[in-house]
Amino acid sequence: MSLLLPFQGKVAQNYCVTIEFAFQENEIKLLTAEIERLKNFGCLGVSPSLEGLRDENTKLKYRLNFLKKSLQEERSKSTKSMININSCLQEIFGAAIQAAYPDLENPPLVVTPSQQPKFGDYQCNSAMGISQILLKTREQKVIPREIADKIVKNIPANECIEKVEIAGPGFINVHLRKDFVSKQLSSLLINGVQPPPIAKRKKVVVDFSSPNIAKEMHVGHLRSTIIGESMCRLFEFAGYDVLRLNHLGDWGTQFGMLIAHLQDKFPDYLTVSPPIGDLQAFYKESKRRFDTEEEFKKRAYQCVVLLQSRNPDFIKAWNLICDVSRREFQKIYNCLDVTIIERGESFYHEMMKDIVKEFEDKGFVQVDDGRKIVFVPGFPVPLTIMKSDGGYTYDTSDLAALKHRLFEEKGDILIYVVDSGQSVHFQTIFAAGQMIGWYDPKVTRVAHAAFGVVLGEDKKKFKTRSGDTVRLIDLLEEGLKRAMDKLKDKERDKVLTPEELKAAQTSVAFGCIKYADLSHNRLNDYVFSFDKMLDDRGNTAAYLLYAFTRIRAIARLANIDEQMLRKAAREEVLVLDHEKEWKLGKCILRFPEILQKILEDLLLHTLCDYLYELATTFTEFYDSCYCVEKDRQTGQIVKVNMWRLLLCEATATVMAKGFDILGIKPVQRM
Amino acid sequence: MGEARNQLRWADGKTIKNEVDLQVLHLLGPKTEADLEKKPKVRLETWMVFSCDMGTETQSLLEQLRGEALKFHKPGENYKTEGYVVTPNTMALLKQHLAITGGQVRTRFPPEPNGILHIGHAKAINFNFGYAKANGGVCFLRYDDTNPEKEEEKYFTAIREMVEWLGYQPYAVTHASDYFDQLYTWALELIRRGQAYVCHQRVEEIKGHNPPPSPWRDRPVEESLLLFEDMRKGKFGEGEATLRMKLVMEDGKMDPVAYRVKFTPHHRTGDKWCIYPTYDYTHCLCDSIEHITHSLCTKEFQARRSSYFWLCNALDVYCPVQWEYGRLNLLYTVVSKRKIIRLVETGAVRDWDDPRLFTLTALRRRGFPPEAINNFCARVGVTVAQATMEPHLLEACAREVLNEQAPRAMAVLEPLKVTITNFPAPKALEILVPNFPADDSRGFHKVPFHQTIYIEETDFREVRQDYTALTPGATACAAEAWQHWKRCCGRVIELEVTCTKSDAAEKPKAFIHWVSEPLACEVRLYERLFLHKNPEDPSEVPGGFLSDLNPDSLRVVHNALVDSSVRSARPFDKFQFERLGYFSVDPDSKEGKMVFNRTVTLKEDPGKA
Repeated sequence: MSLLLPFQGKVAQNYCVTIEFAFQENEIKLLTAEIERLKNFGCLGVSPSLEGLRDENTKLKYRLNFLKKSLQEERSKSTKSMININSCLQEIFGAAIQAAYPDLENPPLVVTPSQQPKFGDYQCNSAMGISQILLKTREQKVIPREIADKIVKNIPANECIEKVEIAGPGFINVHLRKDFVSKQLSSLLINGVQPPPIAKRKKVVVDFSSPNIAKEMHVGHLRSTIIGESMCRLFEFAGYDVLRLNHLGDWGTQFGMLIAHLQDKFPDYLTVSPPIGDLQAFYKESKRRFDTEEEFKKRAYQCVVLLQSRNPDFIKAWNLICDVSRREFQKIYNCLDVTIIERGESFYHEMMKDIVKEFEDKGFVQVDDGRKIVFVPGFPVPLTIMKSDGGYTYDTSDLAALKHRLFEEKGDILIYVVDSGQSVHFQTIFAAGQMIGWYDPKVTRVAHAAFGVVLGEDKKKFKTRSGDTVRLIDLLEEGLKRAMDKLKDKERDKVLTPEELKAAQTSVAFGCIKYADLSHNRLNDYVFSFDKMLDDRGNTAAYLLYAFTRIRAIARLANIDEQMLRKAAREEVLVLDHEKEWKLGKCILRFPEILQKILEDLLLHTLCDYLYELATTFTEFYDSCYCVEKDRQTGQIVKVNMWRLLLCEATATVMAKGFDILGIKPVQRM
Repeated sequence: MGEARNQLRWADGKTIKNEVDLQVLHLLGPKTEADLEKKPKVRLETWMVFSCDMGTETQSLLEQLRGEALKFHKPGENYKTEGYVVTPNTMALLKQHLAITGGQVRTRFPPEPNGILHIGHAKAINFNFGYAKANGGVCFLRYDDTNPEKEEEKYFTAIREMVEWLGYQPYAVTHASDYFDQLYTWALELIRRGQAYVCHQRVEEIKGHNPPPSPWRDRPVEESLLLFEDMRKGKFGEGEATLRMKLVMEDGKMDPVAYRVKFTPHHRTGDKWCIYPTYDYTHCLCDSIEHITHSLCTKEFQARRSSYFWLCNALDVYCPVQWEYGRLNLLYTVVSKRKIIRLVETGAVRDWDDPRLFTLTALRRRGFPPEAINNFCARVGVTVAQATMEPHLLEACAREVLNEQAPRAMAVLEPLKVTITNFPAPKALEILVPNFPADDSRGFHKVPFHQTIYIEETDFREVRQDYTALTPGATACAAEAWQHWKRCCGRVIELEVTCTKSDAAEKPKAFIHWVSEPLACEVRLYERLFLHKNPEDPSEVPGGFLSDLNPDSLRVVHNALVDSSVRSARPFDKFQFERLGYFSVDPDSKEGKMVFNRTVTLKEDPGKA
């Protein structure tokens, strides 16, 4: 028994120790777990907002990716639209530059069509600009070639670039893929000329033509009418919602004397419509009386007051006078194929009171010698919004029109096609509109599409020999006469039927007048010359119209009708192996980028230049590539090169659309 | 022994109304090679204490599902179901449906792969797979993975594993996302038919009672088509646009949402979509695509029955029949994913498969045999009434199965060393013990018997009156035998005893378990995790379920001893440790240190009922 004791004591001790160990071990485990848990928990607890932001960031990234994908999808899906190759390339290079120089803010992105085939089809010239930026902002000296190399290495996968080369100091020459160009041409033939897709159907308000009642339209109005109409057509084609407004001068003080004179000359005007044939003579007469007869002048002022207070008899008289003018204007609009809605100054009359009040309420108005004037920062001449006699001015009516177009019409783009002489006036009006908070130029585009004056061949202001302003209607008639002379010169009257001849005459006459105007940079003054515009060589409508009918005739002469062309467009691959075919193909596809540029700078002569280039490129092609091969002896058709006929067709389609935008009506034969 | 066997017969169970007979061998004396007392003393105990609405007879699940009780329609006779909407196209569609299925019953188990399956799902699995099986049909396992935010790979595999663990083999494993393209095409069609529109009401606006009707309800079809396209392209932010169906649901809810924008990649479709269909839109159409005959779902979906029929008919596609059954709830636990996450986060349980939980993985880990779970489901029945069950019913089912399945072994949780001073052999004896005492044909295992053995400390009492212990091997220890005892830390730490052949001694009052030359092991004993029946019920537990945790829900015995016969057991192997309960090998077991979970005690703790 006593022997057993120590042994058993030891066992017991061991046993206890083991238990203790086990407990301690367990304790340690638990504590370690607790620490881990607190660590994690602490982390989560410190900033749940961080977690939230991270989640949001992940989601935004996902969405960004998704939108990019959708954009790609939309682009490739909307094959109906023509692709703007230039902006495609800009995007590709934009992405490449972004990838190569992610820290660079607003790096220059320059992509242009190459001038010579050896420099590829397009070139990207951003490397030089980036080199300068790096030097200026970071004092890094990197040669442009290196930058170009880095950009090239970062070009993302795309469907249009065949290859790129770096040339000269750092130009990146881009060669387009033949199959890409070919595919785009096929799509053009199948779907017709479709504008590049726009993000949102924006509203455009174009203010153009805008003659004065009781005065003849002159060549100055001609420019506004032609340019405005063409701009409207362009925006409409691009998918915008266009409102064409004729801001008639129909509410001035001249109506006082006109009505007073009317009352004297046709006392029963309220019941019998007065036969005013020559409104201009009527105007001159009343003006003479206004200047010479004191009594008449007084009455004229009373008439203004009564008219502005909307006295029915005076409104009637006013309407009578306006109608005479309207009829005259409409004749011209019909000739020029112009569509426009009349919304003259009188329309805004009631709003002007509120405009003055608004400027007063916001504290912009100063009273100067009885007049209410508004100074606009940056403009030395103030706007007069109310005369000392309480009357309103052009400033007031233009402000009212601006506000109405912004708030009632909800225009996203407002364009004023008015001569350059009124530049300062409009810039002041626009600045006043911004100052009072009507619009933000970053959101809404309000532009004065100014144009220069029309000069005679003597480079002086365009006048008749007697020194009078040239009446527009006379000018158009002379155009018709001259066009006919030209056609007869060319003995076209022997080839064409009388109807065809007549169609050719109007097409040439009005086409040439419009084209001559549009083909010059609108900002410059331009010399009006019938001889030049009717010349069938050079950049004229006559040349283009002639080229166009010739292209259309090619297929006809090969006995290929429209249906066969359509079928071929679906089945035939447009081979672009010949250098001239390639050049023509690329030229045709530049149409969308030309339109895009005009939508931005509103300079329509670019379109004319393009059409001229297209026509000459076509001629080059036609001179070196047989479309239809004929037996020399018999004249029998041996072979029809369908893909070339398709190129002709594509050229003609684009030209037709170009003409349409310019307001020129081509004819089948001339 | 013969008498005992007699009593253990299943025939005996028949007489016990309403329930299993759990027969517990309370004490069991092992056999020795020596001619020892063979007849174990058996205490027979029966139990049956539940109050749930279970019908008078417990039929097997298959019997129930085969039975007449179910008023389910025959395949192709969908129109015979009350409330089924018949359109001019219905008959043609049903004909087509029969041609495709050949008249086979088709069901599906459609879990959302956003959490672990729990005991409630076991009913759905049993019902769907069971009904198909009972009628010679097939059952799909379809992951309802329309919500990309919640899905994780681990859930997909875990769900499949659990279905198979319960003994079912899906006819095909499909995903709602397999049908995203088809669902999208149908959405376009629904818009074209004027039955759906793009809406810009915010979630907050259409929540709650009587939300204002959508001002976009009557927008032109073309507009909706364009806007839906914009949704698909990512042009709308989350919540800025939804596609809604033009119908009023049973509960008055107007125009349920069919598609919503989510800038989240999907587990299976990657970044293909940023719009995802809702349950309301997806479910019936997936059923239609798979030509499900009986779309079984829990009663909460009754309110969506009309939208189910409406949508299939709005698109003129085959329309299955939705049947609802009562949900299975269990007391003293929580099953929602969110709550379990809280439990895991706060350390109240170790993980999703902590054996105190009632997820299926937890039940498996605790040692519940799948048969027990299936039987449990069968007992709950497929009635429409919602069944809220006490966990002890599930435990009873487990005992029933484990009694048949778990071989015997002995373990000692709180060892007290006993030295037999008059041990008759120079070295350890080997004793053959039957795996199942009631049935010798199921084999024997060897247990060493040595001079040193260990018994439960609680089986020894110093005070004579209380002391009713018997040493094993039928060696009776009279009170006089306790000649020596030692004290350490105020407790008895070792005994020295003598042994006597059982036939030579007076009849022992009881038998106790023991181990000799044992393995050390860890044993985890579990109690309920929560103190109250409905820990989620604020009137019962105002402090929230986390305040209701039972502090004694887990007791870990670090230095338990188990007989060496279990040495080669694998995780999830099950044993009945004599007198202690049914145990299962935990996957935490390592070489040299086995871990056992107690699944259930041998008999129901009267305190729990």
